[in-house]
Amino acid sequence: MSSSTRLNWLKTTTRQRNGASSSATATSKNVPTVYNGGVKDASGRTSEYSSMDDECPVCKSDRYLNPKLRLLVSTCYHKMCESCIDRLFTLGPQGCPICGKILRKMAFAPQTFEDLTVEKEVAVRRRIAKEFNKRREDFADLRSYNDYLEEVEDITFNLINEIDVAETEARIAAFRRENAALIELNIQREERDIQGLQEQEMRERREREEMAEEMRRIAEEERIEREKAKEEIINRLESSDASATDLIAKSRAEAAKRAARRKPLAGLSASSARARLNGTAHSAVQAQDVPHVPLTDTWYACEDKYVLRAEYDDPLSERVRADEQGAMRAGGYMLEQAWERALRTAVMGLNIMPLEDEPASGSARVAGDVEMVG
Amino acid sequence: MDAAERENHAAMKRWSKDAKIGEGTYAVVYRGRQSSTGRQVAIKKIKVGQFKDGLDMSAVREVKYLRELKHPNVIELLDVFSSKQNLNLVLEFLESDLEAVIKDRSNVFKPADIKSWMAMTLRGLEFCHRNFVLHRDLKPNNLLIAADGQLKIADFGLARDFADPGHKMTCQVITRWYRPPELLFGCRFYSTAVDIWSVGCIFAELMLRVPYLAGESDMDQLKTIFRALGTPTEQEWPGHTSLPHYVVVGNFPKSPLQFLFTAASADAIDLLSKFLIYEPRRRISAKDALYHPYMFSLPYPTHPSKLPKASAPMQPRPVHIEETEGQGAALSAKATKRKASEDPFENSKPVSRRLEF
Repeated sequence: MSSSTRLNWLKTTTRQRNGASSSATATSKNVPTVYNGGVKDASGRTSEYSSMDDECPVCKSDRYLNPKLRLLVSTCYHKMCESCIDRLFTLGPQGCPICGKILRKMAFAPQTFEDLTVEKEVAVRRRIAKEFNKRREDFADLRSYNDYLEEVEDITFNLINEIDVAETEARIAAFRRENAALIELNIQREERDIQGLQEQEMRERREREEMAEEMRRIAEEERIEREKAKEEIINRLESSDASATDLIAKSRAEAAKRAARRKPLAGLSASSARARLNGTAHSAVQAQDVPHVPLTDTWYACEDKYVLRAEYDDPLSERVRADEQGAMRAGGYMLEQAWERALRTAVMGLNIMPLEDEPASGSARVAGDVEMVG
Repeated sequence: MDAAERENHAAMKRWSKDAKIGEGTYAVVYRGRQSSTGRQVAIKKIKVGQFKDGLDMSAVREVKYLRELKHPNVIELLDVFSSKQNLNLVLEFLESDLEAVIKDRSNVFKPADIKSWMAMTLRGLEFCHRNFVLHRDLKPNNLLIAADGQLKIADFGLARDFADPGHKMTCQVITRWYRPPELLFGCRFYSTAVDIWSVGCIFAELMLRVPYLAGESDMDQLKTIFRALGTPTEQEWPGHTSLPHYVVVGNFPKSPLQFLFTAASADAIDLLSKFLIYEPRRRISAKDALYHPYMFSLPYPTHPSKLPKASAPMQPRPVHIEETEGQGAALSAKATKRKASEDPFENSKPVSRRLEF
């Protein structure tokens, strides 16, 4: 069970992409089934309604007979199972087996709500909201705005309950013609609003983090100070010969004074945190993203001191080379790397000056010899 | 007191130990400070006493390779000293790891962020490979993030230098989800390409926000890989059928990566597909990947200081989860979930614990 949930992404790839899945049988025919509809959640995934008592109204197959049963909804809001859809609509548009409306295979959508009337209402409302997106600012007074809202509700109601569909569609088309520019503008406004909201959320989160950090710092400081005070008392008791109770009382008073001094500081540091926040925001802007630099270190690997040849006369690796198509090759062992390593270690010590204060003349002479070779 | 002891004592004096931040089967990690400057460090205390045959291999490896590698994208080993029965490694202190950043749902990754992390990972890895070191345990959990946003490769407990021709290496390395198919097929002769596969998996994980190839067992891992990328043919990967543990794992068709990575640019898909080439010798090298057009294309990689960070403080991470018989129960829940590389129980064939060098 856990394996199947973990591997879900493997099986529901298409569902994540199109908001709908196509079963193995559908993909095998190379027909990418594109569904529109279904209700997406925040992450853009379609949640699908299914129950144990699902039964295809067309072929009467149920979840007992076919555990993979998946019911999809047509544009006339009738359910049927995927295999019925495949069977009926693969060869082209056909009449709905329930109401006779001409349907296409592509136009079936997954079901989100148990009640299909809800499903339909959501679909209609979404469609209407896309075009009827005027805002309060677009109207001169509240009265005309309310009239507009009522009209929208009227149209929605008509579409949901299929009253005067033709006339309603004409009204929608007329509205679209009249307000094309405004609709476009409002879509852009909406996008900007969403973006602004996200930015604000981010700012607030940063601020909260900053505050928490500040609080932690203060707590830490206080703790250190307390410990210091304690130590001081002990030291004083040790060194002075005044009475112990006097000394302790004096230290307590000092500590209280210090704490009082810190209080306004705490309030101040909150505001300073904000100032610093702006500062960090500023510095974040300053920390510019720079183009990628492949290698940033300066570690010198002596690459210029040798040239790696394609082939060496190397009796040690005879066995490895003989096994050209065998396990060593398949495992990815690279003989070149071994050769390169041997070469590099060989040239590594070249050109290194002997240590200045090396007393033994012998080692200096050896180093000199090596240098001559290099 | 001889010179070595004096040296060790001086090193011990340089660092002070603080609170414990993590524990693994073979080490405990403490927060620490440099006594002179107050610089924060992490001190990894390796328990020596409990191992019958001396020091644990991963500790040796870690010291051996980190001592040689100094790079902005590789964790820095500042000092090594011993105290009583323990070996202490002083490492750079790093705030969080890439896994925590990926898991933090409040983060939104921009393509530029992913590019920046990939570039840093590849730079660190290229440096290791240039120094002839295979990391062999790359995963988001081992890519640590510094306070300034720099990504650093850590945990060299499974690293080793390139093998000499004809020398066998163990195939029980790399955490399963990031393990390349040649290791799953039990190949004992491999190269830098194994790390590149892991980088590909990490790249995909950065885009998907969930582990890309999450298999439940070694067998299932192969199946998961093939289901995602198609079963390799003899033409695509010559000779793979002759690998020691070769098994037939179903025949899965290939589907374009674009289907899953819908938001990725064409360049990104191209680079990902080159990371995940079946034949190891054709898989892109770290250096070539750094010169891939994806890296140079717009948007420019995000400046490290602006990258998203994990908001929650880092969970105490298991330092190194190497399962040894009877110790499995002691592991934390997280440790068992992201199981590390060596797992003798899972394999069809019992594998001896000896690691050959």
